[in-house]
Amino acid sequence: MSETVTITLNGREVEADPKKPLIAACHEHGEAVPHYCYHPGLTPVGSCRICQVQVKQGEAPPRTVAACRTPVAAGMVVDTEAAPAHEARRQCLEFLLKNHPLDCPICDKAGECTLQDYAFQEGQGKGRSVEPRRKLPKRKDLGEVILLDNERCILCSRCVRFMEEVPKTPQLCIAGRGSHSTVETWNDQPLTGNYQGNLADVCPVGALTLRKFRFQARVWNLLKVASTCPGCSRGCAVTVEVLRHGALKRVRPRHEPAVNGWWMCDQGRFGFEDANRPDRLAGGALRSQSGGWEAVPTDAALETTRDMFAVHGEARIVASPFVTVEEGRELAALAKTIGCRPVFVSPPPNEWADDLLHTGDPAPNRRGLSELGFEALPPDEILARVGEVEVVLLVGERVADLIGREAVAALPEALRVILMDEALVDSPAVDVAIGVPNYIERTGTWINVDGHAGRLNPARPAPPQTWTLVRSLDYLHTLLHTEPQGARR
Amino acid sequence: MVIVKRKTLSLAERLYLPEVVRGLSITFRKLFQPKITRQYPEDPLPTTSVTRGQPRLVVKDDGNIACVSCGLCEAACPAYAITIDGHETDRSIEREPEEFQIDMLRCILCGFCEEACPKDAIFMSNELELADTTRSALVYDLERLKRPAAALAERMDYIKRINKRWQTSSST
Ligand code: SF4
Ligand code: SF4
Ligand code: SF4
Ligand code: FES
Repeated sequence: MSETVTITLNGREVEADPKKPLIAACHEHGEAVPHYCYHPGLTPVGSCRICQVQVKQGEAPPRTVAACRTPVAAGMVVDTEAAPAHEARRQCLEFLLKNHPLDCPICDKAGECTLQDYAFQEGQGKGRSVEPRRKLPKRKDLGEVILLDNERCILCSRCVRFMEEVPKTPQLCIAGRGSHSTVETWNDQPLTGNYQGNLADVCPVGALTLRKFRFQARVWNLLKVASTCPGCSRGCAVTVEVLRHGALKRVRPRHEPAVNGWWMCDQGRFGFEDANRPDRLAGGALRSQSGGWEAVPTDAALETTRDMFAVHGEARIVASPFVTVEEGRELAALAKTIGCRPVFVSPPPNEWADDLLHTGDPAPNRRGLSELGFEALPPDEILARVGEVEVVLLVGERVADLIGREAVAALPEALRVILMDEALVDSPAVDVAIGVPNYIERTGTWINVDGHAGRLNPARPAPPQTWTLVRSLDYLHTLLHTEPQGARR
Repeated sequence: MVIVKRKTLSLAERLYLPEVVRGLSITFRKLFQPKITRQYPEDPLPTTSVTRGQPRLVVKDDGNIACVSCGLCEAACPAYAITIDGHETDRSIEREPEEFQIDMLRCILCGFCEEACPKDAIFMSNELELADTTRSALVYDLERLKRPAAALAERMDYIKRINKRWQTSSST
């Protein structure tokens, strides 16, 4: 903590950081000062004036100032609810709403819009202006990710500053003057880059919205659960949002200063189709003599697995880099019992690496598994190694996808393959398949590239009859310590 | 403990017959009076604009549904009877419901949806009858809920009148 000074905030003596604007001190101490243009992750500009509060310094008479542009100074006496400040904010709000369309029933921001919140809290029920509202483009295409509604924009310039300051690729500007100002890109070019999705988060109103989330759900119907992005080894802190205990609809960054600040990349934000895949395996399945699959309870599938380990010779354990630390510990113990060094699939780096967040390494728990003694091997190496043994346990969310579903399907039939994954690989090569919960259905910890622990929390139930991986592995381990009852196959 | 005191019967009551005659006299009197029972369902009760029947969705005169799938009725419904999913349209009103379900077994006909709707898109119709052989058949979907605006016009006028009265009385 840096040096602090003492200020008086609404009659209380509080400590505040003089390097931060006054509004940050107000928020830190629980005073809900409204703000539109201020964002803690961006340079304050003081353009919207909704954050006005009353400040008295020394002997001078109290003044109404914009809290986001006023540095904290020792001895300030701040009153956020003073009548003149309140009146200034009310007037400011009235002007912001003067041209704002009554779009809330259609607007994707409704429910998490600060303009809506503050108008509801402070605003008057009826507009006083009789002039027609401004008419502007409502479905402006800003590229693959973002759609702009110029009528809803309140010209706070957060989006402009975000593009300049965070990905450092200035692409937006506010063009025109006075009531002709609009947010634009140069020559209507589409936005580019891997960080456009954040624009929809920084926009305090529904002017910038995500194409992929457009009309997908009303935000108050979404269950929001703190989680970690599986997109790369950065492991950005995120909130996963599911609709009616089912489909994952949206992923948003969660403030985590040690990892991602306020932001996340578009690869992570939109790369969640896998969480909603329709072909999930529930419980266990055994390959029958006739070649089809026989659905069995998870414990029966694990008993068959135990028999394979007990009857056949050398075995290998191949984990997915999505395996959590908790699951990894169970796996390491299991590997010790059957006498092998566990490995995890190390997919090749992708082209998304940048110097902001994305590491280009699509293995979210590389560090956690390495620290547990797992060996990182690229998919082709893994395929070469499992050719030498008799039994192989492929385990963890997306393990087949990362090795390659065709490659798994083409494994030799003599090899006993036990697949513990989200979905079945329908091939004679696979003998036992056991469903596992995916990253939005289980608890666990991933260790990111810098050693920071990211937590996973369940946002919806796993498919019916599906055990957590920790439970399955624990059960299998217990079975291996009891005498085999004779091979079943 | 409550002690119930038994009434001691008078002689006439104990004789039984006079009481039977008294009772039958009512029966015969009513027999020749005009009937007040109703031959439902052939002869249904008349409904008025105040009748709060099952909720129905307005289809505007241009053929488009008035609902914009804002979800406010869904949020207001105390019985969690409504489920809505929206999608994009080409019209200037950018969204409309893709699926709109009201579980009529849950609906308690409270009219909160009608009150919540910012678009005058859902109204309590004068349709009261609700019977079917399976539960799933009573979960009404978009097509079963749509009604032309004309069919709901009387109720719409009534609600507008009520709202106006409420607004003027609350602003003074
Ligand atoms: S589009 Fe949104 S973020 Fe950009 S200036 Fe307008 S209101 Fe602010
Ligand atoms: S940088 Fe990595 S962890 Fe962060 S959002 Fe992007 S893919 Fe996810
Ligand atoms: S409140 Fe009205 S407009 Fe909104 S979803 Fe319900 S019926 Fe449609
Ligand atoms: S938040 Fe301070 S002026 Fe906009």
